[in-house]
Amino acid sequence: MISLGDVEDHLALFAEGISGRYYHIKPVAEFAGRRLALNPEQAALTVDTLYLPEQLDAPEQSAYRVLALQQLGHREFGSFRFELASARARIPMLAAMPLPELGMRVSDFDLFYAHFEHPGLISRLFHQAERLRVDTLLRRAYPGITRHMRRYHAYLLEQASLELADDLNSLLQLVDWLLLGADAALLETLDLTARLAPAQQILADLEQSPGDVYQSVEAACLLYALCDPLLDARQGLPPLPLDEELSGPASWMQREARLDDWRQDLEAMNSIVLDVEMLLGEEAAAADAEGLSDGELRPDDVHLNAIRRDRDTLARRVDMERSAIADALGRTRNGARSFRYDEWDYLQQRYLPRWCRLYEERLTPDYEQDLGALQAVIRRHRAEVQKPFEQIKPLGYQRVFGVADGDELDFNAVIQARQDSRAGQTPDDRVYSRRERVHRDVCAAFLVDLSASTDDAIDPPPPAQWDADDEEIANLRDPFALDADEIPVDEAPRRRIIDVQRESMLVMSAALEQLGDSYGIYGFSGYGRDCVEFFVAKEPDEPFNRDTLAAIAGMTPKRSTRMGPAIRHAVRKLIASGNALKVLLILSDGFPQDSDYGPERGEHEYGVQDTARALKEAHEKGVETFCVTVDRSGHDYLRRMCADARYLVIDEIEDLPQALSKVYQALTS
Amino acid sequence: MTEAVTFDYLASEPYYLAVGDEVEVFEAAYAARLPVLLKGPTGCGKTRFIEHMAWRLYRSDRGSARCRLEVPLVTLSCHEDLTATDLVGRFLLQGDETVWSDGPLTRAVRTGALCYLDEVVEARKDTTVLIHSLTDHRRLLPIEKTGELLPAHEDFLLVMSYNPGYQSVLKDLKPSTRQRFVSLTFDYPDPEREGAIIRHETGVEPAMAERLAVIGEKVRNLREHGFEEGVSTRLLVYTGDLICRGIEARRAAEIAIINAVSDDATVQQAISDIVDTVLP
Repeated sequence: MISLGDVEDHLALFAEGISGRYYHIKPVAEFAGRRLALNPEQAALTVDTLYLPEQLDAPEQSAYRVLALQQLGHREFGSFRFELASARARIPMLAAMPLPELGMRVSDFDLFYAHFEHPGLISRLFHQAERLRVDTLLRRAYPGITRHMRRYHAYLLEQASLELADDLNSLLQLVDWLLLGADAALLETLDLTARLAPAQQILADLEQSPGDVYQSVEAACLLYALCDPLLDARQGLPPLPLDEELSGPASWMQREARLDDWRQDLEAMNSIVLDVEMLLGEEAAAADAEGLSDGELRPDDVHLNAIRRDRDTLARRVDMERSAIADALGRTRNGARSFRYDEWDYLQQRYLPRWCRLYEERLTPDYEQDLGALQAVIRRHRAEVQKPFEQIKPLGYQRVFGVADGDELDFNAVIQARQDSRAGQTPDDRVYSRRERVHRDVCAAFLVDLSASTDDAIDPPPPAQWDADDEEIANLRDPFALDADEIPVDEAPRRRIIDVQRESMLVMSAALEQLGDSYGIYGFSGYGRDCVEFFVAKEPDEPFNRDTLAAIAGMTPKRSTRMGPAIRHAVRKLIASGNALKVLLILSDGFPQDSDYGPERGEHEYGVQDTARALKEAHEKGVETFCVTVDRSGHDYLRRMCADARYLVIDEIEDLPQALSKVYQALTS
Repeated sequence: MTEAVTFDYLASEPYYLAVGDEVEVFEAAYAARLPVLLKGPTGCGKTRFIEHMAWRLYRSDRGSARCRLEVPLVTLSCHEDLTATDLVGRFLLQGDETVWSDGPLTRAVRTGALCYLDEVVEARKDTTVLIHSLTDHRRLLPIEKTGELLPAHEDFLLVMSYNPGYQSVLKDLKPSTRQRFVSLTFDYPDPEREGAIIRHETGVEPAMAERLAVIGEKVRNLREHGFEEGVSTRLLVYTGDLICRGIEARRAAEIAIINAVSDDATVQQAISDIVDTVLP
C-alpha cells in the first residue's frame, strides 16, 4: 500500500506544473461537500482540490501520478465544457430524442442522461468512453505516463477475478477490464452476451479519433443502443452500481464551468443595461418634450425594463447556482496553498504525522481604512523605536585595502611592493583598495496571533456598580428628561489588542526598512486541525508600500490560536530565505488553544507542549525565536513553552512597539 | 578587474529566432541612437538577441565603415562589486610609473561599438552617473581620474538588460535611469518556437525538441517555488546538447534542468515527475 502523505507535497507541485494552476491535494475523507459523497477509493477533481485515496493498493508511487493526471486530463481536454445544445447539434441520434425538461438547475450531463430510459446506464457508458478518450489524449500529450499507466492497470487486472459475462452488469465489467488493457481475445471468450466485440469496435474508433467530449457522447449513445436489448431481456432493473455517477463530481464541475459562462453573460447584460441607461439619460430632455403623462412609459423604457428583468433573473440564477455548487463541492480556497504539518502529542510522547492542514493565503488588504492615519502612527513612534536600532550597524560600504582589484591604488601597498621589488623580492600585486558592501544577512518573520480574543478592549471599562442609592435612571426616550449637555454622545472607538498589534507591525516595518533587513509579516488563526490559517501581509522579498499598509490594516481578529503549525510554517519560510541569521518573533495575547488542540477543549497543556516542541524544532534548525505576549498572566505557561526565557510579557500594551524593537535589536545584533 | 567582459568579434551570424518585431524596433532605435533596455527573465535570449543585432548592424553590410570595427560588441556581466572604475578604466602600475588603461565601456565609447551591460541593476549605484551622461543628448563619458570628457563615437550605443522578476526591490532601476531607455520586453518563446530554437541549436530530433519545449512550459508553471526564473531556454538547449551526445534523455534532463533550477528535494522530485511524464 502506498500512502498519499508520502507523495502529497511533490504531487501538488506536479499537478501545478502540468495544469498551470494550484490544486490542494487531499484524501477523499477530507471532502466536505454536503450534497455529494465521493467514493473513497476513487479520485475526483473539484474547483480547487484534487481528491485522492488516502491509501492506494498499487505497485509504485507513480500510480498516484496516473490518478492525478487522469483527473487533470478531464479539465485539460474539455470534459467539463460539455454543453447539451452542442451535443444535440452534432449527434443526430440525440437530436432525434425529445429534450427533457428538468429546468436550469441540473447539469448538462444530467440532462443528457435524462434523454434515455435508463440514465444510470448511459451515465456509466459515457464515463467509460470519456475515460478512454482522456487516457488516449493523455498518452499522446504526455507519452511518459504510458508505461506507468500500463503498469498500474496491469496490477489492477492482476487483482481482478475475471468471470463469465451473461448479463449487463458483467458485460460492463468486461468493458472496464478492456479499458485497463486486458487481452481482448481472452475477454471475448468470457462474453456470453455477444456484445463485447461490437462494443470494442466502438471504443477502438473512439481511441482512433478521440477529438472532444462529444466523441465520447456519441460513443456512449452507440454503446447504449448495443446494451439496450440486455435491459429489455432481464426482469426489473439490475442492481446497477450506476446511479452514483449521476450528479457526481463531473456533473458539478460541468455546472461550475457553465457558471463561468453565465457570469460572462451577466457582465455583458450589466454592460448593456448601463449603455442603454446612459443613452436614455441623454434623451431625457427629449422625453419631456414628448409630453408623456405621469406613469406613462415610452417604448424604449419598456424595452429597458425587460432587459433589467432578464438581468435580474440571471443574477439570481447565478447566485443560487454558486451557492448550490459550494454546497455540493465544499468551500473553495482558490487563493490559498495548503501544507500538512506534524503535531506533537505530549500525552503519547510522539508526533502525529501530517496531522494539521495549514492554508497559506494573502491577507485581504483593507483600503477603506485611513492609510494616512496609519502613516501617522509610524511617525509618532519612529524616534523611540529606532533608538535601539542605532546600535545596529546599518547596511553600507567599507573600504578594503590591499586587494588585487579595486577602484583606487592603495599607496601603502604600492610603496611596500616597490620596496620589495628593489630588495629583489617578489612584490605583492595586491596594490588596490575598494569599497565593499557590508551585509546584514538577516531575515525576520513576525507572526501575529489573530485569534478572536485580540478583539478585546485593552482597558475595558469597570463593571457598573448597581446601588439602590443611585440616581434615578433617566428615561432616554423622554425628550425633556435631559438637558442638551447631558445627552450621552458616542464614546471614542475602543482600542483593542489587535489595534496595537497592527500598529506595532507598521512601526517595525518602517524601522526595518531603514535598517535594510529582510522581513516578513504574517498572521495566523484557524479552527480545527484541518483548517489552520496562515495569512501573509508581506513576504521578505516584497517592498513595503501602500499595499503592505493596507494588508496590515486588514489584520482582523478571526478564530482560534493553533500556534504549533503556524510556527512550523514560519520556520519553513525562514529557512527558504537562505539568510544566515533567521529570527522568528511571535506576538500573542494568550495561550495556544483550538477546538481540537488536545483531548479536552478547555485543557491548554497539549497546545503549550506542541508549541514548545515547535519552538524547539525551530531552534534546532537554526532559527532564533522569541515570544512577546500582552497576556499579563503569560509567565505561567511561557516559562514552560519558551526555552531560555525567550519571552517577554508586556504589562502596558501600548509599550509593545518599543519592546519589539528592543527584542529585535537584542536578537540580531 | 573583477567584471566579466566579453569582446565579440562576430565572425558569423548568431542564430536568433524573432518572436515579434524586436529586430525592426532595435534597428530603428539604433538608427536614432536611442539607448535600449532589454527586460526579461534569465536565459530567454536577451544576450543572443544583442549578439544577433550587433552582427546585423556591424557585419551584414561588408561595404560599411562599421564593418571594419574589430570589436563591435562589448558585453559586461554586472555584479554587485562592479564599480564605475571597472567600466571606465584605472591606473595600472608599470615599472616605476602608473599608466592609464581604458575600461571596456571607454573602449566602446571611443571606437563606436555596442556596449551591453548585462543585468545592470546588479552593479553599484555609482555606475548610473556614467549611464546618465551617455544616454541623454550629451553622449559624453566623464573620466574623472584623467579629467577627460570623452564624446561618444557616432556609432556607439548603450544597451542594458534588466530582469524585473529576479531583482530584489532594493536593486530596482530608478525611474530617472529607466526613462532614458526605450524598452524591449522579452519572455520565453511559445513551445513551438522554443522547440524550433532547441532543434536549431542542438540538432536534436524534432519530436524530442518539441518535448523539451513542453517541459520548459510546464516547469515554468512552478516559478514561485524557489526558482522565480523557471527553466531557461538555455538549459533546454543544454539538455538537447547532452541528448545529441548520447546521454539518455531523462538523465540529460536531470543534469541540465532538475539539478540546475532548484536544490529543494520536493521541487526536484516534482520536476523529475514532469520530465518523466512528458518525455516518451
